[in-house]
Amino acid sequence: MSYVHPEYLVDTEWLAAHLNDADVRIIESDEDPLLYPIGHIPGAVQVDWFSTLQHPLRRDFLTKEKFEEVASNLGITKDTTVVFYGDKSNWFACYALWLFQYYGHRNVKILNGGRAKWEQEKRELVKDVPSYEKTNYKAKDADKSIRAFRDEVLKQSSSKKPLVDVRSPKEYSGELISMPNYPQEGATRGGHIPGAVSIPWAQAVNEADSTFKTPEELRALYEGKGIKSDEEVIAYCRIGERSSLTWFVLKYLLGYPNVKNYDGSWTEWGNLVDAPIEK
Amino acid sequence: MLMTNLPPKLQEIVDDFASMTREEKLETLIAYAESFPPLPDWLTEARDKMEAVPECMTPVRLFAEKQPDSGIMFHFDIPPQSPTVRGLAAILANGLNGLQAEEILTVPSDFFLPMKLDEAITHQRINGFMGVLAHMKHAALESMNGK
Repeated sequence: MSYVHPEYLVDTEWLAAHLNDADVRIIESDEDPLLYPIGHIPGAVQVDWFSTLQHPLRRDFLTKEKFEEVASNLGITKDTTVVFYGDKSNWFACYALWLFQYYGHRNVKILNGGRAKWEQEKRELVKDVPSYEKTNYKAKDADKSIRAFRDEVLKQSSSKKPLVDVRSPKEYSGELISMPNYPQEGATRGGHIPGAVSIPWAQAVNEADSTFKTPEELRALYEGKGIKSDEEVIAYCRIGERSSLTWFVLKYLLGYPNVKNYDGSWTEWGNLVDAPIEK
Repeated sequence: MLMTNLPPKLQEIVDDFASMTREEKLETLIAYAESFPPLPDWLTEARDKMEAVPECMTPVRLFAEKQPDSGIMFHFDIPPQSPTVRGLAAILANGLNGLQAEEILTVPSDFFLPMKLDEAITHQRINGFMGVLAHMKHAALESMNGK
């Protein structure tokens, strides 16, 4: 058995052989934004999930126009193959990929194993920040088929359709809600969305080298918890970054046709007046 | 907000940051992260004695070593994959190492606001800063109580 869409993954060896391809742009997207300046894959550019990809005022992503500006400044055209990699088993790389898909960029890939595997293999890291000739990127209208909003999530929950909570077991059980010193990301209630099953995101990756688990292992993991491809699936976490990794796994590695990421996630649901909660 | 009575070295770091541009802040944080000292051998073998800081998404451990003059020397164990947290911990260590427990306890938990770090890093990270400081204070208090 192989992944359903293996074309969405590249390995470190492939990337090392394509560092200088004009039609390949490598993007580093990390949880820790200082990793890139300290050393990155030669030719790679950086996007920061917060300062680059978020709306400066509202709780939302950057607008389509702003996305076009970001992509243009990175020298990306509609034909560019964009390869994402990052720390934390590609959490934020998947988040950036998801956003690129949201604005219609189809040719995207994840470096399997991300930064961790590249470093483990002692491959080259550089400090030089490259610049590429500016393009005139035109984004497509937002693809809402991969993004879930709260009303849809409520409907999903009340009609007992599949929801995947990818947070840690203690967040799922509601034991952890008000982490001390995390006021900006807190929720006033703990627990999970009724009907959601707990499948922590990290179970989809190998701890040793951050690569994705095998198709057999992934299928057993999700199908074993009742998350199957014949229904629409919504994944969520705390702010939507960890669940974008699960979204990537379900959508491309297992080929589920209808998967959405609920980026409002627990920081929205756990604060939403009148929203049902299960503990 | 007017900040008074910070320990002099910490005050100096806060003032420096306050006058920096966003890029300078990032560069300085990187310099702190790159100067992050390795864990001394005697602690490497006794990692389980170190206190974990659960507020950080990054595994952070710290140990407060009491010196002959009863000043406190902090040691941190933070993976190199988390340079931002290393940089923040190095700032705290630079600003507070060698001080007496009483002096450490006077540092207000929002001492870093004038540094305007939110220009360079996310709130979530800055909050990790508060988590580390809270644990340094806790360790200082324990050492004062002779633990």
